[in-house]
Amino acid sequence: MARIGVFTCWCGENIARNVDVQSVAEQAAQLPGVRCSQTHKYMCSDPGQKLIRDTIAAERLDGVVIASCSPHMHLKTFRKAAEHADLNPYLVEMANVREQCSWVHSQRSRATAKAVDLIRVAVAKVRHNRALEPIQVPVTRKVLVVGGGVAGIQAALDIADSGVPVVLVEREPSIGGKMAGLSETFPTLDCSQCILTPRMVEVAQHPNITLHTCSEVEQVEGYVGNFRVTIRKQARYIDVDKCTGCGQCWNACPSKKTPSEFDYGLGKRTAIYTPFPQAVPARPVIDRDACLRLTKGRCGICVKKCQADAIRFDDQDELVSEDIGAIIVATGYQLYEIGKPDGQGRVTGYGEYGYGRYPDVISSLQFERLVSASGPTGGEIRRPSDGAVPKTVVFISCVGSRDNAKGLSYCSKICCMVNAKHTMLYKHKVHDGQAHVFYMDIRAGGKNYDEFVRRAIEQDGAHYHRGRVSKITQEDGRLIVRGVDTLAGEPLTIAADLVVLAAAMRPATGVEDLAQKVNVGYDEFGFLCESHPKLRPVETNAAGVFVCGACHGPKDIPESVTQASAAAAKVLLMFSRDRLYREPEIAHVQESACAGCFACRRSCPYHAIDPAEIRDRQGQLVRRVARVNPGLCMGCGTCVALCVSKSVDLEGFSEEQVYAMVESLR
Amino acid sequence: MLQPLRETCRRLLDDGTVQVVIGYGQAMRAVEPYPVFITDPNDVGQLVWNEQCRTNLVKYLLRQEIRALGKPAIVVKGCDERALVVLEQESQIERSEIVVIGVACDGMAEARCEVCDAHQPRFADHTIGHATNKEQSAERRYAHLAEFQERPIADRMDYWKAELERCVKCYACRQSCPLCYCQRCIVEKNRPAVLDTSPTLKGNFAWHIVRAFHLAGRCVGCDQCSRVCPEGIDLRLLNQSMARASEASFGHRSGTDPQAELVLGNFSKQDQEQFIR
Repeated sequence: MARIGVFTCWCGENIARNVDVQSVAEQAAQLPGVRCSQTHKYMCSDPGQKLIRDTIAAERLDGVVIASCSPHMHLKTFRKAAEHADLNPYLVEMANVREQCSWVHSQRSRATAKAVDLIRVAVAKVRHNRALEPIQVPVTRKVLVVGGGVAGIQAALDIADSGVPVVLVEREPSIGGKMAGLSETFPTLDCSQCILTPRMVEVAQHPNITLHTCSEVEQVEGYVGNFRVTIRKQARYIDVDKCTGCGQCWNACPSKKTPSEFDYGLGKRTAIYTPFPQAVPARPVIDRDACLRLTKGRCGICVKKCQADAIRFDDQDELVSEDIGAIIVATGYQLYEIGKPDGQGRVTGYGEYGYGRYPDVISSLQFERLVSASGPTGGEIRRPSDGAVPKTVVFISCVGSRDNAKGLSYCSKICCMVNAKHTMLYKHKVHDGQAHVFYMDIRAGGKNYDEFVRRAIEQDGAHYHRGRVSKITQEDGRLIVRGVDTLAGEPLTIAADLVVLAAAMRPATGVEDLAQKVNVGYDEFGFLCESHPKLRPVETNAAGVFVCGACHGPKDIPESVTQASAAAAKVLLMFSRDRLYREPEIAHVQESACAGCFACRRSCPYHAIDPAEIRDRQGQLVRRVARVNPGLCMGCGTCVALCVSKSVDLEGFSEEQVYAMVESLR
Repeated sequence: MLQPLRETCRRLLDDGTVQVVIGYGQAMRAVEPYPVFITDPNDVGQLVWNEQCRTNLVKYLLRQEIRALGKPAIVVKGCDERALVVLEQESQIERSEIVVIGVACDGMAEARCEVCDAHQPRFADHTIGHATNKEQSAERRYAHLAEFQERPIADRMDYWKAELERCVKCYACRQSCPLCYCQRCIVEKNRPAVLDTSPTLKGNFAWHIVRAFHLAGRCVGCDQCSRVCPEGIDLRLLNQSMARASEASFGHRSGTDPQAELVLGNFSKQDQEQFIR
């Protein structure tokens, strides 16, 4: 005979407003198997949990139903409470009478009836629950950090400093990411490279960090604590151990016409190159598409110049395999493509701004390079078309951001600060110049941020115009910017020498592929999804995989670094235990009924199903059946749905339970 | 045709390549051939080949008592062969453990033979005779079904009610199907039972619809189920409609390509999802 306790929560007003909690509790008491039924204003609070614990002990309950919010919210809380009262935590079920009832219904009587039904279903289920024990798995204390921008560097250093080995994978030839290309940073105007490059060198020299540049994650197998990651190291054509980074090769390279990725096309680089002087590792790489030797079989000047005999034209891609316990994804961002020809003669996005057609319309990251001392102009602000110093510069906000029609619906968060910074940097270098900013709103939330914008306007004299720009045309070597000043209520035309577009932040290319490899969800824009926006902001729904930085959403440097340290802390917390505990709600195969068609194996997204052999006493193979690896199974239930002979079942969600739930509503 | 068939089988048994040949035998000319399991090379004279060899013998490969006889050779037509392909894809047979004797077939005087595009076996180890495979358009292959599906939905419901009313749940369809190989069929599952097993109209609907779904993307259209049904229910219509959907939505025709990915349980970004809308 079941002894089930039902605990219905008021959730303050949240549930009680639309559901008659008292009546629900009285009706729940009448359900078959229910021993007692109680209510509390806040069941998740300490007195609420105490009520649960005391009742379990007093009534010797063998099953508990909590009618409150969603399991996602508080199942763990209530399971822990049951555990404290010596009841197996997997004998606790939740009926979601808040999100799925009181919040979505307005008619009190019907919402009350539905709440009773939800409890009825949960009681029917819990009567078939079995006591389960968590699955223990060993943990490999080694971390993979994907992406070597400021977030990846911060996470890698935090973890490595605590003594845990880190594998840092970066796609580009150098770590540093977008921040390495910035000139100064807001709100302090300190030099970006001066604060970042020491950290980059620290990464290179750290005994606990293995750095793979020109590398990407090829494959991820395994599960939390026990991933096996395959990394593809692209051929660099340089023996990095022999190379001294002297620079003889790139000074002599005759192929000089490739647009520099690091300067966003504003400068040129050679075929053998380091992206920037402070690159880490300070070793060159050969661009296989630009090198004359690799494309046409001629040249080889670098081989002659190299004193260290470090050039390797026969270098091949290499696959490296690493055993990893946790993964931090920090793949960062790229800029929204401002005016992209769609191949049918039209331009998508902001074709009217002439980006790509007019050389003096540039993106904010390009402007950073123009201001940077290590940039193509040596830090002098000279416009790309004729090298003249621009006397009037227009900065346009929200290019792609907050625009459902042409771009993306979200705010990219950093552009308001970037624009303010740019007007200041411009004024500091071109004293007689005038900066104009077109903006929609100024969003400067953050420590010392609003003060920074005020400084740009009040001290450095930037002209801020609230309004959008409709069109930019080119006349007599100047850019005619036609916009509107909505505060003045009149159209505004500015003849500018240079226009800087603050394009939206988008996740880096390929992040969706990576997300699929590590089983992390992503939103419609490709930003990775955290487990809970407030309480689990760096965790993901894939156990052992964490996110930080701009791959998770638009972010500035301080926020990315904060999040990176948070992710590092979470990883170290995970590693503080000898073994990991996993939820035991996983699939299992009834081998006597399994036909061995392996439909489950083909469909399992976690590769958790393996063939097993059933042999008779003489050792003769009788047949092959499917078997679930409990370390890998995430309990998604795909196999259960596909098994035609119904030989797979899910612990905690067994067919028996689900059928009982359906039956209870008849 | 018959002589080379018997000779091939004798040779395979003689040199010990196989221990049993699964083929067609006949007692009286008036009745349909029945399956024979020949283990002695001197018995190959029992083998026959004629226009009545409609039965798909592939099912017998899976039978425990036949497996106990040793390595088998099996006589198949080009159409039966498709079931072998699916069974291999579903890990039920090891192709290298079976010798397949394909017999070219000009048709077995059945309607489906007129739109057959597998007169000549394609994957057999030994092929007897020669026939020409002619490409058949999907329209032609599913003409019978298309004609039925043009009827108003209420008509079709009445049709199925009348047909399935007669089903006696003898499960001959399941027993004869080369792709029904489960250790325990879901109708035998209890605790909890998954579908209504009573031979009532409701229970019969449940059975035949579930069976059609379990064959979705798998049925090779051998029509053995329709052939063995004692009530003469045209079960082919159900299975064909799933086969047609699988072909139209995923370009998948079961058993025609050993390298193909199975439709169910595989995800591809190119998948069309019109049937879900």
